[in-house]
Amino acid sequence: MNKALRNPLVFTLFIIPGLILFLMFFIYPIFSSIYYSFTSWNGVSDTVKYTGLTNFKKAFGDERFWISVKNNGWFILFSICIQVPLIVFFSLLIANVKKLKGLYKTAVFMPSIMSTAVIGILWGFIYEPNIGLFNKLLGLVGIEPIYWLSDERFAMLSILITNAWQWTGFYIVMVLAAILSIPGELDEAAAIDGATGFQRATRITLPLIVPIISVVIMLSIAGAMKAADIVIVMTKGGPAGSTEVMATYMIKYAITNFKYGYGNSIAVLIFMFTLVVTALYQLLVARRTERIEY
Amino acid sequence: MKKSLTMLLSLIFVTSALLTGCGSNNNTANNAEGDATATNGANATNAVATEEPVSTEPFEMTIRHTQVGADKQKRLAILEDVVGKVQAEVPGLTFKLDGVDSDVNRKEKLRGEMAAGNPPEIFDLFGSPDSKIYAKESKLLDLTPILEELGIKDKFSNLDPFTYEGKIYGLPIGGSGEGFFYNKEYYASKGWQAPTTFAELEKQLAEIKADGKVPLAGASKAGWVPLMLANHLWSRYAGPDVTVKFATGEAKWSDPDVIKGFAKYKEWIDKGYFKKGELGFEYAEYTTQFTSGEAILMYDGTWKSSVFKAGQSGEGLIGKVGFFNIPAVDGGVGDQTALMRDVNNGYGFSASAEKDPRQLAAVKSFIKNMFNEEMQLRGLVEDGVLPAMKIDQAVLTANITDDLMSEIVGVLNNSKSSFPAFDSLVQADVTTEISNIQIQKLIGGQTTPEKMGAALQKIQEEANAAVE
Repeated sequence: MNKALRNPLVFTLFIIPGLILFLMFFIYPIFSSIYYSFTSWNGVSDTVKYTGLTNFKKAFGDERFWISVKNNGWFILFSICIQVPLIVFFSLLIANVKKLKGLYKTAVFMPSIMSTAVIGILWGFIYEPNIGLFNKLLGLVGIEPIYWLSDERFAMLSILITNAWQWTGFYIVMVLAAILSIPGELDEAAAIDGATGFQRATRITLPLIVPIISVVIMLSIAGAMKAADIVIVMTKGGPAGSTEVMATYMIKYAITNFKYGYGNSIAVLIFMFTLVVTALYQLLVARRTERIEY
Repeated sequence: MKKSLTMLLSLIFVTSALLTGCGSNNNTANNAEGDATATNGANATNAVATEEPVSTEPFEMTIRHTQVGADKQKRLAILEDVVGKVQAEVPGLTFKLDGVDSDVNRKEKLRGEMAAGNPPEIFDLFGSPDSKIYAKESKLLDLTPILEELGIKDKFSNLDPFTYEGKIYGLPIGGSGEGFFYNKEYYASKGWQAPTTFAELEKQLAEIKADGKVPLAGASKAGWVPLMLANHLWSRYAGPDVTVKFATGEAKWSDPDVIKGFAKYKEWIDKGYFKKGELGFEYAEYTTQFTSGEAILMYDGTWKSSVFKAGQSGEGLIGKVGFFNIPAVDGGVGDQTALMRDVNNGYGFSASAEKDPRQLAAVKSFIKNMFNEEMQLRGLVEDGVLPAMKIDQAVLTANITDDLMSEIVGVLNNSKSSFPAFDSLVQADVTTEISNIQIQKLIGGQTTPEKMGAALQKIQEEANAAVE
């Protein structure tokens, strides 16, 4: 059997079904999208008109598209600068608790299994200007109500906080698994040598989980680039387009307006931007990370 | 030997996997063909034996409707009754009801099906611009000969949103008009009546504000909600026909009279007449502000009257809600009684039905049973949807037992003309700009009426040039 599997023909036969599925559901849609991105197809017509780079020129010349790109950038920055440190911090805390570790893990994981629509409603109550939790707390210290979702200055931040709340638990469980897989002897030896808890966390645990943190950052970047549902549920891209991201821009300015050609060009741009950002991260950061062997 | 056996097994596995993956459609098609052959054969035999002209072989058609959720149960019941009647009239027909959220159907599902060429045979259709785009691509059944045959072509109040190049491609299920719903109990406590002049309306708004209440419900997360009132205001100042002229270039968004409409809306925002923080509220909260008594007035479509019925969220306000049109404004252009009215929601039929006589018969029967006086009155009485067909005033009056609906019909009768909402008159790009950006900027204080007009005109000119 082993010999047979080494036979290139058998090997090829086995990968054909998977290859067909890959071609059908991944490669074909990508190339189809690229093809339509150079057309003015309205999504209904049987005929498509080639328009060259018109769609891309239109996108690059549209101020609103750049606002949406900038907002995707905020998603990435918030993930890397705020969310990831919190993920690591809470992972270290949970890894070191002696009791109810399972309860903590379940509690932090819970938001990531909830539907975005439910989260939108839940946080809509928290941000509610009159009876919402945040404004009630601010009211206790004499601060005037903030219109979290309707004020341009706070709307994007409100979405970023909600999005981070939704996904932090998922990444905590990943990082936690990495921490718990570190051999206990390393920690014990450091403790015997007199290292404090903080020193063990920063000098032993943290360096050993750098690869998984790198993966978390990669996933966060990819997630940030395709963010859409949370924006639609919470602000619909408003007020006045201030929280628009590339995916919601694509839906609002192209798909709902029967401009599928333009929509496909935005989809291609999202794909390209994501590819560039993740490739840059891989080249500049992730590849430099040493492989960890215990 | 082992190697050959492995090779053979591998080949069988891969081949069977491929055939399984690719074979289902063919099998269905083959089965369908087989059935069809068998059916044809049977029909041929029957034809010879009994000379029966109409096949009674079972066949299925799909109706895509949007009557989902508790609020639309009455409308669904009407559809189900029609389905029953059509199935009884067309031998062998079974309807499959496919209920989908209205927005999902309009903006995603139906568009995808149209692109793929497999829309349901009967489906919920938005008039303008959707039906015209589908009609242009020959995706819709031309209903003109069917309506002529049934003798109902001239029975509809307005078929413009469903008409393309002189042919009718869809039928409106009902109509709507927009105006102010007001809390009669509050008005009575102040000794007020529905305002008859614009000055009186503004005086009432100011006094409601001074009374610590919210004068006007506000929920502008979706731009179309505040635009209902804004649209009516600019049409009062610049004329009911101004919006239709934007697309032809005969009028501009930056015209002084149009700006007056924006400015009046802005003035009401600045005076705090709308619920504060409205840009963060959904449409559902709009109704709640009114039904809870927080807001005294709510500018909305007549469809909202169904909320003030037993078992609905506004049950507590039954008999306590009135309706009035925006009074005439000083220096307003054109008919100052004009009401914003739409007949944009209805049914369309797949062009494929034309090729199948039995499907065509089912479509005819559906139209006959759905678009008649009885069903239109049921829609009005049970669901608060205004008739899309012309109905004798005496019949209409005799059927309305609801005070609010009587008041609504009174307002409709007192308006000498009507105009459709802007989104059925201007290009999609302009609709997107005003709905998603400009009206929210105006509410948020990030633009002025003049800048708003100029920004809209720029998009309008680009859209007009693209058409040319």
